[in-house]
Amino acid sequence: MNAMTDSRAWNLPAPAATSGSPGAVGGSEDIALELCVLSRSFKLKRGLFKPAGSIQAVSDVSLRIRKGETLGLVGESGCGKSTLAKMLLGLLPPTSGNVLIGGKEIDPRQRRALARRIQPIFQDPYSSLNPRRTVADIVGVPLRLHGVGTAAEQTRAVKAMLDLVGMPERTHRQYPNQLSGGQRQRVAIARALVLRPEILVCDEPTSALDVSVQAQILNLLLDLKAEFGLTYLFISHDLGVVEHLVDRVAVMHRGRIVEQGTREQIFAAAQHPYTRMLLASALTPEPGLGLPDIDREAFA
Amino acid sequence: MSILLDVKNLRVDLPTERGMLHAVRGIDFQVRRGEMLCLVGESGCGKSMTSLALMGLLPARARRSADRLQFDGLDLQAQDERGMSRLRGARMSMIFQEPMTSLNPSYTLGDQLCEALRAHRKVTAAEARERALYLLERAGVPQAADRLRQYPHQLSGGLRQRVMIAMALMCGPDLIIADEPTTALDVTIQAQILRLIRELQQEFGTAVVFITHDLGVVARIADRVAVMYAGEVVETAPVDQLFDQPSHPYTQGLLRCIPVRGKTLPGSRLQAIPGVVPSLVGEVQGCAFANRCSQVRPACSVAPPFAEVAPGHAVRCVTAAHPATLAEVA
Repeated sequence: MNAMTDSRAWNLPAPAATSGSPGAVGGSEDIALELCVLSRSFKLKRGLFKPAGSIQAVSDVSLRIRKGETLGLVGESGCGKSTLAKMLLGLLPPTSGNVLIGGKEIDPRQRRALARRIQPIFQDPYSSLNPRRTVADIVGVPLRLHGVGTAAEQTRAVKAMLDLVGMPERTHRQYPNQLSGGQRQRVAIARALVLRPEILVCDEPTSALDVSVQAQILNLLLDLKAEFGLTYLFISHDLGVVEHLVDRVAVMHRGRIVEQGTREQIFAAAQHPYTRMLLASALTPEPGLGLPDIDREAFA
Repeated sequence: MSILLDVKNLRVDLPTERGMLHAVRGIDFQVRRGEMLCLVGESGCGKSMTSLALMGLLPARARRSADRLQFDGLDLQAQDERGMSRLRGARMSMIFQEPMTSLNPSYTLGDQLCEALRAHRKVTAAEARERALYLLERAGVPQAADRLRQYPHQLSGGLRQRVMIAMALMCGPDLIIADEPTTALDVTIQAQILRLIRELQQEFGTAVVFITHDLGVVARIADRVAVMYAGEVVETAPVDQLFDQPSHPYTQGLLRCIPVRGKTLPGSRLQAIPGVVPSLVGEVQGCAFANRCSQVRPACSVAPPFAEVAPGHAVRCVTAAHPATLAEVA
């Protein structure tokens, strides 16, 4: 329990939720990623002479993800899940709290060291790839930025990674606009993996894709996890996909984790009324069930 | 129920730099009065082009042709722009995915709702306002009277979509075309809006062509379903039959690749459909799905007819239409 006793990591009192809540993981040696009472607020300008307000996007979030585990983070738009992802990736400093990778606190100034351990895949494979670079170039950028290997080694690593994600050789010299949505997402995955990180933060990775392509990408994520022993934080609003892919689920609402547990606990016996409402809203392809009567205003 | 909309061999062609894009390639379907028909398919399958073709709202360079395009006995192909304007908004209206693109940001909601009615009916301003208020309340918009004075940007996405639904109903249309109306919304709001559309459709007896890519939505809202692939309707059936006995290999593939609780083993590989949709620039030879189909056979090199396999259940696939011949081949 090194992380728990490290005063540097716990400059705020430990929340009871981390140790006591159902589905929380114990032991620290096998923890890949840990968030300790992480919060982030944004200032709101309301006018020249009015006092500035603030909005609490993420409030006291504590989560642990074990090595090789997939944690699903679910919640509706505006719940803070993307702000949380940005903090994990070092793209946004937290207002308070810490992020620990492999039990060590990350220094937000060392973005480069962080990038070798944790990498993102975003929802929109159209805007996340540089349109003026070829596929092989795009995947090689992280290797060049980090000065990994010689030019020849970099070329080999890029080709190997593109082969692994199922990009045929002829596509390696193409530009993003020549690719389908599914192929672009494969390129984004290859770029995320080329530095061999331990953790992938997948932010709605299949939301922009057609269902037949979504299945191909989900299969690829499952294969890559088995191949590299990766740890995934899988952020999604699609509960069907989440149930298929994850080991544990955390439900986020208004900046807080309102419930977390194993896949079975959440999908078979959710306790929090908000979780139950989310589950009831998910429309499974089963005719005859009709449409649920959702009282959303109860949580407004 | 009588036929409200009758479409036979509808084609939409779009000239592009690379050649003629055949966005809709000869589709047939009918919508009965008061029924909910879901047009389902993936991006580029021609479902949105179909809806624009019905409304006479295609881009200027697009070419539309059909053997029959009848709305309540009226030949839509014989209507000029003025004739279509009289129909649109009055007897057939549309709900889009992003309400902000169809609401005017510089007019109040009250102005826009009332205009929809006063453009087509001789009513006083007070009568129009009364109907707007009634429909906003029916669409579940809280404080409806105050909302009439508000502008679109003052509303959340879910509320804007409720206003769009109220606006589509202002003239009491026979047909509403809803193009992915809940795709941009959160799941809980989506469930509420779908329920609202279904309730109002049944209450007012309005026929709805509901366009979506989401089979979960289709299962819960449709009376009948038309599955589109590469510019064609490949299968049409009542909703229960489509999900119980999908007959086109593409429909079967779509249903297999979505993880479903209790049916799909968590963490198992999904049965993805291999390959990609063919380009619709130039002519497609034979069955458009053949290059991705696991049941492909020599007969698939000829374009298959749209054949009935059961009452109300038609499929564009030689294997599905003649399973016996497949057994002989095997």
